[in-house]
Amino acid sequence: MIRVAAVGDIHLGPESEGVLRPSFETLPATADILLLAGDLTRHGTVAEARVVAREIEGLGVPVVAVLGNHDHHDDRPEEVTAVLREVGAHVLEGESTVLGRDGARIGVAGTKGFGGGFVGRCAGEFGEPIMKEFVRYSRRCADALCRSLEELAEQDCDVRIALTHFSPVSDTLAGEPPEIYPFLGSYLLAEAIDTAGADLAVHGHAHLGTEHGMTSGGVRVRNVAQPVIGRAFHVYHLPVRERRAAGADRARAAAPGAF
Amino acid sequence: MNHPHPEPAPGTGRAHHLDYRVAHLTDHLAAGPLGELGVRIEIRGEAVLLTGTVPSAHCRDEVVRLAREELPDHPVHFDLVVADASAPDHAEDLP
Repeated sequence: MIRVAAVGDIHLGPESEGVLRPSFETLPATADILLLAGDLTRHGTVAEARVVAREIEGLGVPVVAVLGNHDHHDDRPEEVTAVLREVGAHVLEGESTVLGRDGARIGVAGTKGFGGGFVGRCAGEFGEPIMKEFVRYSRRCADALCRSLEELAEQDCDVRIALTHFSPVSDTLAGEPPEIYPFLGSYLLAEAIDTAGADLAVHGHAHLGTEHGMTSGGVRVRNVAQPVIGRAFHVYHLPVRERRAAGADRARAAAPGAF
Repeated sequence: MNHPHPEPAPGTGRAHHLDYRVAHLTDHLAAGPLGELGVRIEIRGEAVLLTGTVPSAHCRDEVVRLAREELPDHPVHFDLVVADASAPDHAEDLP
């Protein structure tokens, strides 16, 4: 069994220094990895990123993060990323990593993702340049997620997890005003997950949403925004699938969401 | 033809309508020091209701202060929760 802890939208600032640390220090007893689903800061400043870094430094479990829209607000996502990497966090944007403890191989593919909406109610790549760029940016994030998950399929992982900030499905947005769904996620992320295959998809961003959802291809989706889960993190237990010596095709065949 | 006492155009003088003030409060919460996008602000008759989960007690107090400051002539109700930072007491099995 692989134990995955996850939380997003912790929105740390100077006055919340140390708030999560006591709970995070229990992680080695309950989890093999901690996933951070973006919006770790309020404005994406370096000072706020340092608060986050002190919360996660030396926890005794690997930490994998994506940034969220708040972490971009100060227009220095590279610096925020660097501060988190200094304390050992794996910050992913269109990339993947394989980590784990006790021989388990946990593959995580991550991107912030972006909006655009869900099938039948989504933005199209049409019209004004800014509108086309909106959709193209979302598509680039999703394409990078698909490639990263496919890379993991070649690396003999016990589980593969898609980590995003924006939501891949509308299920986990229930509770948010439907009018703002296009700003909360994109079906392109779910399509990427279902194309490449994954065992779990984790996201944040939707504070008023709900925890549980599923892609059309049958991949479980969990909204781990802290206001949704109401805890410092949630833990998910995933079974270890039998290791497959073969390549992507067989690995894909075993993973929900893969066609 | 010029009317001696023209009717004001529809909307004139309505720039301070509660709808727009609530929209501006939403913008100010996001753009200000709190960077707060997680509070829902709804008009309930003459009153305004703020709900949601915020990261800290300081943040909650600031949201309350700003809302009262921007909407001094309306009752403002708050149901704001501070995010729970305790560790979970169970895990979810995903067989």
